[in-house]
Amino acid sequence: MEILNQLWQIIYHLFNESGLTKLSWENYVMIGISFVLMYLAIKKQFEPLLLLPIAFGMCLVNLFPGIMGLPATEMLTKAEMLSKNLDPASYPTTVVDGVTYYNHTEYGGLFYYLYQGVKLGIYPPLIFLGIGCMTDFGPLIANPKSFILGAAAQVGIFLTFITATAIGIFQPAEAGSIAIIGGADGPTAIFVTTKLAPHLLGPIAVAAYSYMALVPIIQPPIMRLLTTKKERSVVMGQLRPVSKLERILFPIIVVVIVALLLPDAAPLVGMLMLGNLFKESGVVERINKTAQNELMNIITIFLGVTVGATATGKVFLTIQTAGIIGLGLFAFCLATACGVMFGKLMYLFTKGKVNPLIGSAGVSAVPMAARISQKVGQQENPGNFLLMHAMGPNVAGVIGSAVAAGVLLSVVTPM
Amino acid sequence: MNNQMTEALILLLAGFLVVFCVLILLIIVVTIYSRIIFSVQNSAKKKKEVLKEEVSSDDPTPASTQTAYIPRTDDDEIPGEIIAVIAAAVDSIYGEKPHKLRAVKKSRSSRSAWARAGLAENTRPF
Repeated sequence: MEILNQLWQIIYHLFNESGLTKLSWENYVMIGISFVLMYLAIKKQFEPLLLLPIAFGMCLVNLFPGIMGLPATEMLTKAEMLSKNLDPASYPTTVVDGVTYYNHTEYGGLFYYLYQGVKLGIYPPLIFLGIGCMTDFGPLIANPKSFILGAAAQVGIFLTFITATAIGIFQPAEAGSIAIIGGADGPTAIFVTTKLAPHLLGPIAVAAYSYMALVPIIQPPIMRLLTTKKERSVVMGQLRPVSKLERILFPIIVVVIVALLLPDAAPLVGMLMLGNLFKESGVVERINKTAQNELMNIITIFLGVTVGATATGKVFLTIQTAGIIGLGLFAFCLATACGVMFGKLMYLFTKGKVNPLIGSAGVSAVPMAARISQKVGQQENPGNFLLMHAMGPNVAGVIGSAVAAGVLLSVVTPM
Repeated sequence: MNNQMTEALILLLAGFLVVFCVLILLIIVVTIYSRIIFSVQNSAKKKKEVLKEEVSSDDPTPASTQTAYIPRTDDDEIPGEIIAVIAAAVDSIYGEKPHKLRAVKKSRSSRSAWARAGLAENTRPF
């Protein structure tokens, strides 16, 4: 009988300690959302490299919140130490009012430590390093006017900033973090949010990456709405070849100009250009391969799971999050529309030599946004190849969103 | 609230201005250095060509044999008409510069399987 009683006590204790008694309904809703995101990543293949770790991190933190738990130090008396089967001799002591206390440290959860890379703004610039190694700036160098389209798409960021401020439920720092979603650049959105409004990191990162994944659904209707059949059918001339010297000088020149004018954008643009210099110089092939493969993959895993782990039920299921999701979509649509409208202006000024569809690629989302320009252009004229022309505004958008981030970071006061 | 909106408006204008100014500055710089590099490399090429011409002028081969140049082919089965078409296509691209079609070779696995897969990945429809 005694054995049965002890067995029951153990089972009762295990049940009480399990998630079944500790989780709230918000946690279960978030677990459900994470399953939907996993489905989108695996079945629909929407940005699976990021969406899958984000979704799994979200699932894990809502099943076991302790995985993001903060480290804590408690002061215990000798009696308390002994009752917990701890050896007092191996702990540092503090004497308060003549009583000796032993400092017992409980370490944080796994994701707490991995999250420091996000919190301290380390991962986003490292992601940019990898992106730099993979990016070909040739189309942008061949047609520098593409920079204008990259800048035009950033207009959406600032218009969303003023809209979010006007609504009244967001502080300027929060509005800036939400507006940067319009740049369609996940690392930049995370970088800005960690500096301006870290408490909104979860919803903003999830919104930013979700909209990047949904580029093929969001952009084409806007592009068709704002352009005529004639404009969409424009076939652009072949780009000139770019010499190796031009390619090598480009990252150096860009980093000098941007870092001098906007020091706050230096970590992002600097790492992007360093990666590109690795690639174009051709003398550090090993580093180049590591940065764009192993390093990038490791950082992507850490960034994905920890960003997902910030989306706990209590933080995520709020009116504020609904506002962020809505305004993020607004920012993204506006950025696309502004890019296309500037594309139309270029179409007019060049007397029909520029296809306005490449303007939508000014939102970063490399290379998905450029592919969309190609796809929509080919629907009008199957012989039209806009991909390389769209890559110019696309990579200009990466630089543009980093510059816009620099402006927000230097002007808006963090919370 | 009014203060916040005023600040937001100022940021909106400053943001537009700074982003456009920085990127326009980049356009100007990239255009200028591209032109400089192009002209420097072009002049180096021209010097080489002049040097070549000087060397070829010393060549005792009669001019008539130089102009009646027949491109080398990998096999003799490529008909003359096809070679003429290829020569015309090359001429349409490089027509402005002095050029010569030296050989016509069949393309054999010009791209590796990985390169072809990459190309297909980047251009495939969604």
